[in-house]
Amino acid sequence: MTYSDVLLQQVINGVSLGAMYSLLALGFTMVYGIIELINFAHFNVFMVGAFFSMWILKLTGLAGEKVILTGLPLAGVLLLALVCVMLFCGVLGVVIERTVLRPLRNVPGTAAMITTIGVSYILFNVILLSQGAAAVNFPNPMPKVQWNVTVGTVLKLREVLLWTIALLLMLGLHFFVRRTRMGKAMQATAQDQEAARMMGIEVDSVVMTTFFLGSALAGAAGLVFGLYYNFASYVIGYTAGLRAFTAAVLGGIGSIPGAMLGGVIIGLIESLGGQLIATRWTDVIIFSILVIVLVFRPTGLFGRMMIRKS
Amino acid sequence: MMIRINRRQLMMTTVGALALSTLAISTGFAPVQADEKLVTIGIELPLTGADADSATRIKNGAIMAIEEANSKGGVGGYKLAVTVLDSGTSTAGQYDPAQAATNAKKFVADPSVVAIVGPEMSGEGKAMTPILSAANLATVTPSSTNPDITDPKFAGQYKPNGKAIYFRTVTTDAFQGPNMANYMRDTLKVKSVYILDDSGAYGVGISNAFEGQAKKIGMTVMGHDQLDPKEADYTTVITKIKGLNPDAVYYGGVAQAGVKVAKQLHEIFPSVIKAGGDGMVDGGLLSAVGFPAIEGWYCTQASPHVMDDASMTDWVARYTKEFKMTPSDYAITAYDAVQVIADSIKRVSAGGQPVNRDTVRDAIQSANINTLQGPVSFDENGDIVSKVISVFEITHDPKSADDDVQHQYKYIGVAPESPTS
Repeated sequence: MTYSDVLLQQVINGVSLGAMYSLLALGFTMVYGIIELINFAHFNVFMVGAFFSMWILKLTGLAGEKVILTGLPLAGVLLLALVCVMLFCGVLGVVIERTVLRPLRNVPGTAAMITTIGVSYILFNVILLSQGAAAVNFPNPMPKVQWNVTVGTVLKLREVLLWTIALLLMLGLHFFVRRTRMGKAMQATAQDQEAARMMGIEVDSVVMTTFFLGSALAGAAGLVFGLYYNFASYVIGYTAGLRAFTAAVLGGIGSIPGAMLGGVIIGLIESLGGQLIATRWTDVIIFSILVIVLVFRPTGLFGRMMIRKS
Repeated sequence: MMIRINRRQLMMTTVGALALSTLAISTGFAPVQADEKLVTIGIELPLTGADADSATRIKNGAIMAIEEANSKGGVGGYKLAVTVLDSGTSTAGQYDPAQAATNAKKFVADPSVVAIVGPEMSGEGKAMTPILSAANLATVTPSSTNPDITDPKFAGQYKPNGKAIYFRTVTTDAFQGPNMANYMRDTLKVKSVYILDDSGAYGVGISNAFEGQAKKIGMTVMGHDQLDPKEADYTTVITKIKGLNPDAVYYGGVAQAGVKVAKQLHEIFPSVIKAGGDGMVDGGLLSAVGFPAIEGWYCTQASPHVMDDASMTDWVARYTKEFKMTPSDYAITAYDAVQVIADSIKRVSAGGQPVNRDTVRDAIQSANINTLQGPVSFDENGDIVSKVISVFEITHDPKSADDDVQHQYKYIGVAPESPTS
């Protein structure tokens, strides 16, 4: 591998990492955009999604790397897993919203946000106690296909899968929010809850849909994580969550294109920083850049200035 | 209104009682019968978390020795009770030095504890030794290999009391790291190596020891990077390694990062020679990484490999039958650790002295007995006198389960103490 090959490979790695963070940041940033709630439970719903999709895939008979599928059976199995995990995590999100957050909807201050931290810990410990702390092998049915971009650099099938799913979900979400009736209701609720209620929009139903969608996206990210890294563990919500949270804030929290851009930036910093400096400095570099961006653009790169209603 | 308050009070009392009883049970104190002469041996291991598999095998080795001693009528007239404390926490996801320190304090506070078997990890050991030294409570570790803890240079930090309280039935990374470097250069013909560690006390220590020796014997060290065990993605550093194209990669660290290193190294750079320390000997790691990804890794253990000897067949069979898992090499050193403690208690009792921490510590210091791994005695720092490092290669045995530590690691031989040239 020549040095330029190495750099190109790191760029590919960085964009893939970034796509992973963007996917994770997507649901998170959307929930904030609609109801202005930082939902810390999002990242552990992602972790639960990774375990759930592992069980679904195991149910279809896959184990580790022993069974490889191609073509239609592969697409079928992945689609099945995706739909199941999105439904399951969506329902989980709705349950969380109904039981824990609805009573706190009109309580001012940070009560709701702190409650999501509590829910996050509950999910974390439920999985820890039931699954144990060791990492578990995630079934990987995808064939080991890769293409040589140049002589030394490779692009793997699973990276293409990751980018495709991330882009499709982003476009799908964008379409849903802009073009459908429920999406317009969500935008209205985001602008002014009281006014939306007065216009006849069922705010309860809008919030429920928001949570369903956000958590479903977290679940999809869990499936993709498992297919990509081939393992699941109860801690994956933590570090991936921290980077995804940073990506969302960097891109402008509440903005969907912002989450995508923020994710890719963080991914590229991680891979190029690791290559050119050293991996142990990655966190320092990422957070320094975040601080600098926020000093000059407090709402993030794509964020909008929100007029605070007193 | 009245009915509701009563119900809430009832619920609160029930919850409070349940909490208190769980707390009492979880402290794990063995019931003491007043008319039996009883001493307690503590066991301190990271039984939850990423190291649970190796820790459980070690614990079982110790428990087996204690049960055997008790079934023979005890030692020196005393029966042995056991208190097991866990140093794994959910926040760390593996051993937690802070929890280990708390456990040390619990043992110190229990007057019936005369000696401890453990800890497994050197990170735990560093946290525990100042507390144990202040109470003169000895511990015999079956697997902690970081040399600093028994190094006279750091005596002020790890044994402020002045007396050795950290005894080992394994040797240290001062030999495990360098001897592996010798082996890699002489037998595997490795000329260039890239080193990774998992930022833990053990990982940093062994990889630094390896690096020092590697440079001394003429291997090119192309770099040394630290990994965060909580992070999922090491593709950046592995791609960088691939770009530099060393002959081998040496990983110093334990399972939490090791699983990801093994998986991702296999995906990105499968042709490189992969080596690690005893942190890579773990059944959970084998099943999480899976074959063929984990195949071909070279690992070391800081003890002689006696498990395949004919004299051990019966012991291995008994262990496997009782605990439904195969023993690891450190299960044997844990068994030997209990034998050392039991022998020390016997000698103290035979000499007419009271069996307490001070007498038992002194007896352990002067121990010289034959155990499963051979003769065991300690130098003035607490290190075991014999220094044997065994080398293994992970070779898939399809007839055994994936996480079968005994059968998936093929014993190759002893790592040379000095290079051949």
